[in-house]
Amino acid sequence: MPRIRFFNFVVLFVFGVLFLGLANLSIIHGYKYKELSRKNCIRLIPQPGRRGRILDRHGDVIVDNMISYNLMVLPSEFNNPDQVLSRLSRVTGKDNAALKRAYRQNFVSLSIPVVVSENIEVKKAIVLEEMKPELSGFTIEPQPLRHYPEGELGAHVLGYLGEIDRWRLTKLADYGYNTKDIVGFGGAEEQYDYYLRQEDGGLSVEVDRKGRFVRMIGFRPAQGGRDIQLTLDLKIQRIAESKLADRRGAVIVMDPFNGEVMAMVSKPSFNPAVFVEKDIAAVQALFNDPKAPLFNRAVSGAYPAGSLFKLIIASGALENKKINLSTTFTCDGGLTIGRRRFACWNTHGTQNLIGAIARSCNVFFFRTGVLLGPQLIHDYAVKLGLSKPTGIDLSSEASGFIPDPRWDKVYKRKTWYDGDTANFSIGQGEVLVSPAQMACMIAVFANKGTLVWPHLIKDVQGRDISATFKKPSLVPIQKSTIETVRKGLRNVVADPEGTSYLLASLPVEVAGKTGTAQVTGKLPHGWFIGFFPFEKPRYALCVFLEHGGSGYAASVVAKEIIADMCSGGVL
Amino acid sequence: MRDVGVRITVIALILCVLGIISIYSNTHQKEDRYWQLTYQRQILWVIMGLFIFSITSHFNYRNLWDFSYFLYAFVLLLLFLVFVLGVVRLGAQRWLKIAWFNFQPSELVKLVFVIFYARYFSAKSVHDVSLRVGKFGAFRAMLLPLLFLSVPLYLIVEQPDLGSAVMIMMIFVIMLFLGHVKLRYLLIFIGLILAFLPLGWHFLRDYQKDRLIVFLNPNIDPLGAGYTIIQSKIAIGSGGFFGQGWLSGTQSQLYFLPESHTDFIFATFIEEWGLAGGFVLLGLYYLLVRQGILIAAKTYDHFGRLLALGICAMLSLQVFINVAMNLGLAPVVGIPLPLMSYGGSSLFSTLLALGILVNINRSRAVF
Repeated sequence: MPRIRFFNFVVLFVFGVLFLGLANLSIIHGYKYKELSRKNCIRLIPQPGRRGRILDRHGDVIVDNMISYNLMVLPSEFNNPDQVLSRLSRVTGKDNAALKRAYRQNFVSLSIPVVVSENIEVKKAIVLEEMKPELSGFTIEPQPLRHYPEGELGAHVLGYLGEIDRWRLTKLADYGYNTKDIVGFGGAEEQYDYYLRQEDGGLSVEVDRKGRFVRMIGFRPAQGGRDIQLTLDLKIQRIAESKLADRRGAVIVMDPFNGEVMAMVSKPSFNPAVFVEKDIAAVQALFNDPKAPLFNRAVSGAYPAGSLFKLIIASGALENKKINLSTTFTCDGGLTIGRRRFACWNTHGTQNLIGAIARSCNVFFFRTGVLLGPQLIHDYAVKLGLSKPTGIDLSSEASGFIPDPRWDKVYKRKTWYDGDTANFSIGQGEVLVSPAQMACMIAVFANKGTLVWPHLIKDVQGRDISATFKKPSLVPIQKSTIETVRKGLRNVVADPEGTSYLLASLPVEVAGKTGTAQVTGKLPHGWFIGFFPFEKPRYALCVFLEHGGSGYAASVVAKEIIADMCSGGVL
Repeated sequence: MRDVGVRITVIALILCVLGIISIYSNTHQKEDRYWQLTYQRQILWVIMGLFIFSITSHFNYRNLWDFSYFLYAFVLLLLFLVFVLGVVRLGAQRWLKIAWFNFQPSELVKLVFVIFYARYFSAKSVHDVSLRVGKFGAFRAMLLPLLFLSVPLYLIVEQPDLGSAVMIMMIFVIMLFLGHVKLRYLLIFIGLILAFLPLGWHFLRDYQKDRLIVFLNPNIDPLGAGYTIIQSKIAIGSGGFFGQGWLSGTQSQLYFLPESHTDFIFATFIEEWGLAGGFVLLGLYYLLVRQGILIAAKTYDHFGRLLALGICAMLSLQVFINVAMNLGLAPVVGIPLPLMSYGGSSLFSTLLALGILVNINRSRAVF
């Protein structure tokens, strides 16, 4: 009977093997298969939420959402994707190869719908919806899409949307951000992404093998993002944008008392809708454009200050009693310091501080600057908010640069000569400032001594968030000093010899200062900073023209802006 | 329960009931009324099968000795009929329509071959204790039985029903072994089969090649040929220790697992009852086979012993191939799980075989 015993043994062995195989699947690999089983029959149907809108200070919509239609195919409902995709391609008119590529790229698993074409036209969506009885295996999903009714308006302030990048993801992963999330890039979209961000909801449903609905397991409603209200005034923004036209440069209109930015323009600009449409060629063109349209010149640009710097010299010299209103210097078209002659742009004759500010006399400020000394000039520049970011709620702000003679001496072993001081006094040399810093500086003279925090956010969905605002700081400069400089600023416009006399014809009293910053080899930058009305300022204005020629050109733009603001009923 | 025959009856009944329970769980939720009543039809088959069981268990198995060549001729006729008149289902011509009943003769063929070879390798006389087979030459021990096998085997391969063909071959080899054919003949035969196995690849049909390829790696074609095996493994693996409970296995309830009430009933049973249920089920099958071996060990009639062992081999082979296929350890072939899978042919032939087994136990005492 050995063969029977052998047979018996083999049968026992075989059943043992079967049991071990069973235990291997259900216990050792049980977790994996449970997960697979769950995935098999549970399908998540995403319900995209609506990103918060961006409103202006009066509640008018700047950035909105509109419904777009995505074409999705359901891989579980057909065996041959090519066939379905080629049918869909014929109806939608999209390239068959592109659809196939999208299908391959976006395919995750059988039970998850695959987006093959985003943002299809409404008409085609309707046609497809009507085809459903004969051609199954696809769905049309409405999805809110960013919509820019104002086009390019305020593009730099608003920013654009895009798929989250690696760098942002590492930073934001802890805050619930995931790969493929759409986040803001630049502007308020990035700064206030946390508020604007929607929470996508979804249905989890149990489906059978063919993807047919069996029962609902869970539902989480989509939560729209919060609307944010900016301090921008659409009217002023439109005026500023149209007056700057296609010149390169920046305009900032700000409330000098609380730092609310009412308009901020940087040109050349871009249309954020390009990023929503995923027009790759257009996006590439934006990134490669040598004129850098994505660059926010108003905040991230740093340029030589030119004559605007004279306000710092004036304040510093008055504070330190180096000069007073009776001090006069004579301008004969230039000044020789050491062996070098520093030219003035005109011959101004004898004048005091007020006249020198009005006519922007270089000689007066060469002498005053040398009296004040470079270290104090640096200190007063820093007191007026230069050489550090203003803290505006926009990303990648430039802090500019103010040379520090003491630092130079220690680290660069550079001896500071009076000639350097003279150059320093008219904002040339190493001095770099951003238009935002200049707007804050002029606001100090408008509001008589407070360095405000420029900002764009007004509130979030009607909720006041002013508690999070940075507090304005008092500038340690005496009221009388400020009053004196203000007089000079007023004379820039009011004095027939003032550099901005053309603004005198405006129905509002403007005070301001022009600046022409020399750039080697290129046209100089043009600056105009000012505030109006003079007695009770409501707006601080900064106009910057990159290689715009002169401060005069900038004041022409400023005049047009102010004139339109008057006639437009803003003032 | 001391009586082996009673034990076989009880175990078979338990397995049938477990089968009905699983079939109900798989089909009750389908929309179609015909599907919903699948379990009732299975109950009907079980009742009819038990009737057949009781007849054969009272029919002296010694009579089969005399009938064996008639039975051989009969199944040959059935296979020819399938070849000519067979009903084509799922791409294969395996069924004969008899009135309202689709009968699959290859189920019966397995049993008939067991009877046939038991007859061939044993002496007629009960008293002739010494085996003749050990003295057989190569022709009588190997070639002649192979010749008897060849025609029906060819017809089954042509259906095509590779699973049954492979099983009949395996039964043949086991019968040779248990029939005390010289071991060297057996080894040479197995060696030849293994040597010519690679050639067989060219005779396979495309779907059979696919099944073999996906058996090696199911993920090659997760939606086509590999689908069933992947879903079956998921069903078994998601069962865990105690299963998801009756009527709550999602793989089978939501139709992810095809053929969940026939060839893949093991997977659905495990999904709902877990490893514990699997232990009980495999234990029951082993006990069933064990009873057969016990009967064989007590039977001194060569024909009866060989018949009992052949039936045990047939049962355990079916269970092994089916369960291994469910576990992804064997390629997908159309072998049902005896007594549990839905379908009359398999149930009838299994209960028929068990009836013979019980009868061997009962009639043995006569001699």
